[in-house]
Amino acid sequence: MKKFLLVLLLIVSLLAFSSKVLVVGTTDKIRTLDPAKCYDYFSSNILQNVLSGLVDYEINTSNLIPSLAQKWEVSPDGLVYTFYLRKDAKFDDGTPIDASVMKYSIDRAMKLNGDPAFLLTDIVESTKVVDNYTFQIKLKYPFSAFVSVLGYTVAWPVNPKLYPENAFYEGAPSSSGPYKITEWIRDVRIVLEKNDKYFGPAPKTDKVVITFYESAATLRLALETGQIDIAFRHLDPRDINDLENNPNINVLKGSSPQIRYLVLNTKQAPFSNPLVRKAIMYAVDRQRIVDDVFVGLAQPLYSMVPMGMWSHKDVFPERNLRTAKRLLQQAGYWTDKPLTIDLWYSPTHYGTTEADVAQVLKESLEETGIIKVNIKYAEWSTYVDYFLNGTMGLFLLGWYPDYIDPDDYLWPFLSINGAKSMGSFYENPVTESIMKAARICVDQEARSELYAQTQNHLVVDVPNIPLWQGVAVVASQKNIKGVLLEPTQIFRYYLIEKK
Amino acid sequence: MSLKDYIFTRILLAIPMMFILLIVIFFVLRIIPGDPVLAILGGKAPQEVIEQKRHELGLDKPIIIQFFDYVGNLLKGDLGKSTLTSRPVWSEIKDRFPATVELTLFAFIIAVLIGVFWGSTAAAHRDGIIDVTARVYAVFIYAIPVFWFGLMMQYYFGMVLRWLPVAGRLSPIVSLNTKTGFFLLDSLITGNWEAFIDVLKHLLMPGITLGLVISSIFLRMVRNNTILMLSQDFSTAARARGISQRRILYKHALKNAMVPILTVMGLQLAILLAGAVLTETTFSWPGLGSYLVMKIRYRDFPAIQGTIVFFAFFVIIISIVVDIINALIDPRVRY
Repeated sequence: MKKFLLVLLLIVSLLAFSSKVLVVGTTDKIRTLDPAKCYDYFSSNILQNVLSGLVDYEINTSNLIPSLAQKWEVSPDGLVYTFYLRKDAKFDDGTPIDASVMKYSIDRAMKLNGDPAFLLTDIVESTKVVDNYTFQIKLKYPFSAFVSVLGYTVAWPVNPKLYPENAFYEGAPSSSGPYKITEWIRDVRIVLEKNDKYFGPAPKTDKVVITFYESAATLRLALETGQIDIAFRHLDPRDINDLENNPNINVLKGSSPQIRYLVLNTKQAPFSNPLVRKAIMYAVDRQRIVDDVFVGLAQPLYSMVPMGMWSHKDVFPERNLRTAKRLLQQAGYWTDKPLTIDLWYSPTHYGTTEADVAQVLKESLEETGIIKVNIKYAEWSTYVDYFLNGTMGLFLLGWYPDYIDPDDYLWPFLSINGAKSMGSFYENPVTESIMKAARICVDQEARSELYAQTQNHLVVDVPNIPLWQGVAVVASQKNIKGVLLEPTQIFRYYLIEKK
Repeated sequence: MSLKDYIFTRILLAIPMMFILLIVIFFVLRIIPGDPVLAILGGKAPQEVIEQKRHELGLDKPIIIQFFDYVGNLLKGDLGKSTLTSRPVWSEIKDRFPATVELTLFAFIIAVLIGVFWGSTAAAHRDGIIDVTARVYAVFIYAIPVFWFGLMMQYYFGMVLRWLPVAGRLSPIVSLNTKTGFFLLDSLITGNWEAFIDVLKHLLMPGITLGLVISSIFLRMVRNNTILMLSQDFSTAARARGISQRRILYKHALKNAMVPILTVMGLQLAILLAGAVLTETTFSWPGLGSYLVMKIRYRDFPAIQGTIVFFAFFVIIISIVVDIINALIDPRVRY
């Protein structure tokens, strides 16, 4: 009897222990946890849970709120930003996060010039310690979305005792956020545990174990067999439909700022002809892509600025094959003399659905009876090479934002330098000047108007055709509560709990 | 040729072999389209950042200089840094290799056990039920694609029966103090029995999948060679002296049959180490095979080169060892 009670006690205590541990599975990988170098979604996501920035996003919105900076002021010329830091913030080793730490971190990120550093070096002129808890950043030119840039991890403070000044750091960071990293076996798992020194509210779950899987199929199996509590990035769309029918699994869908679009190289024939670009714009069938390929797990998109973001305007027209045909005929193409074009995609970079998307697009363009499409593909590294060198005329691409602002959805595609690096080689001095005016403008309403004008230009010049906006998906066991899929794409482990 | 000379020649021959391999890998990687810097940064980064990164990685130098730089560093034992993570390739290989070795050895033991015991028993009962079953098994199992077999195992033992975990090396809630990277060994050293059982459970499905597929090769070889040995004069003489069939099989026939098979087994082990890619990917096994696949996708030149050179070095070492063992057992191979 004694033995039985002992075993029972052991089981109960084990159950109690395991309920405090949240297990998350993913197919993503961590590349680096140095904010100065980190420029991929999942690594940033870990940092967002173990570090704090000057500003943060209000939970479940894209509104910026104070975090390490209790408040900030902008000089009348829009060039100098002064941040007043909170005094109770420290790293887990007790090092206070003051103005000198902020200066060290931002200067370091710019000096090391890692992958995301251009977000700062393009704008920041200099940094200055005003006093222990007052920190100043001077810009090269007024940029109204600057505070949004500070929301990205590249501008977040690192512990000077750990992160060397002249080299990237490859270990786990010293924590200043809700969690600290207590174990990290690369590509196997990373363990986050409650950080008692964090100034904000304590996490709902003390310990989170994130395990890494090689494929979407094993991730699904791990969830269905109860090996993990949450599957976060990336389940196959068809698997998601199956999981929705599984009574033991919760599938949560949320808005995502990820957009997918077609790029048209405006310098390469026949896409150098605006009539051809417009004809393609009228012929693409967004709804069919969404229905057939993503089984409803995406939304048709009619602007480069995603839905839900301020200034978004549905500027692109609905599908109209008659108009597409008329435009093609005006451009000199007929059924007997069809327009033959290549459509490119990359087979692995955007998941397993890309070939199907290309096929649906081919069929929708060929429905005009005047276009013949050859589908071509290249591995991601070759693909990037091709679009930067202008080899491809029409190709599929996607975009995750660096900072949550319409500027990040228009400037990179339409500014002269940006368009080159995105493969459309678009140039329009009028659009350029409107976007520059929007960057300087501080008033959101006035900026919104300027971005509306920019979006109108998109339909006239058609360097890009937005196709669909992603839907973020998380699948979890039924007893998991507090999962939020936020518009900012920040996945906050510290809000999740096991009931 | 004396044994010493033979070993010396064998090692000397390995050097040009490695060098040719290095040249092929290095230049093939650079001839095929795709730029590692662009693969990492994509189109988002400005041209100056791309140029700086290219300079940082030495990719702006003439290709021949890059090659000699690479070989020079290699001779110093430096495999370079991964362009994707900036970590030394050697550290990444060290992180991943124990997982591959653990899986491969486990699979190899299964394959050898099945191959030797079933193969020799099949030979002893030629054309009997055991032999026919063995032959059918060998053909059937060899024809099955390893990833499909793995998926079926995952479905049945993981999903339906829920006996075994479907992926990974360790359960998320099981803690393990990793010292060597060989989880079985680590759990034994630290006396962590919970982890030991858990690691073993994780090892079972991928190990059996890979082991069964390889077992067919060993089974056929052992069977055929044992049949040959059983028909030799020494076996007939042994039978005439009234020695039991069991003793003839294990003491005489199998022992002689194993000499050429050991060579194949040795090489097969080396190939297994380098070729567990599909099994590792199917079972999300964080070994070098899945690492290589990931690095190829991103054109991470130093990582791809480093991994292949490492594998090649390993295969060459094993083949030298096998050759030496062969030369020791059978002096004829030295001539």
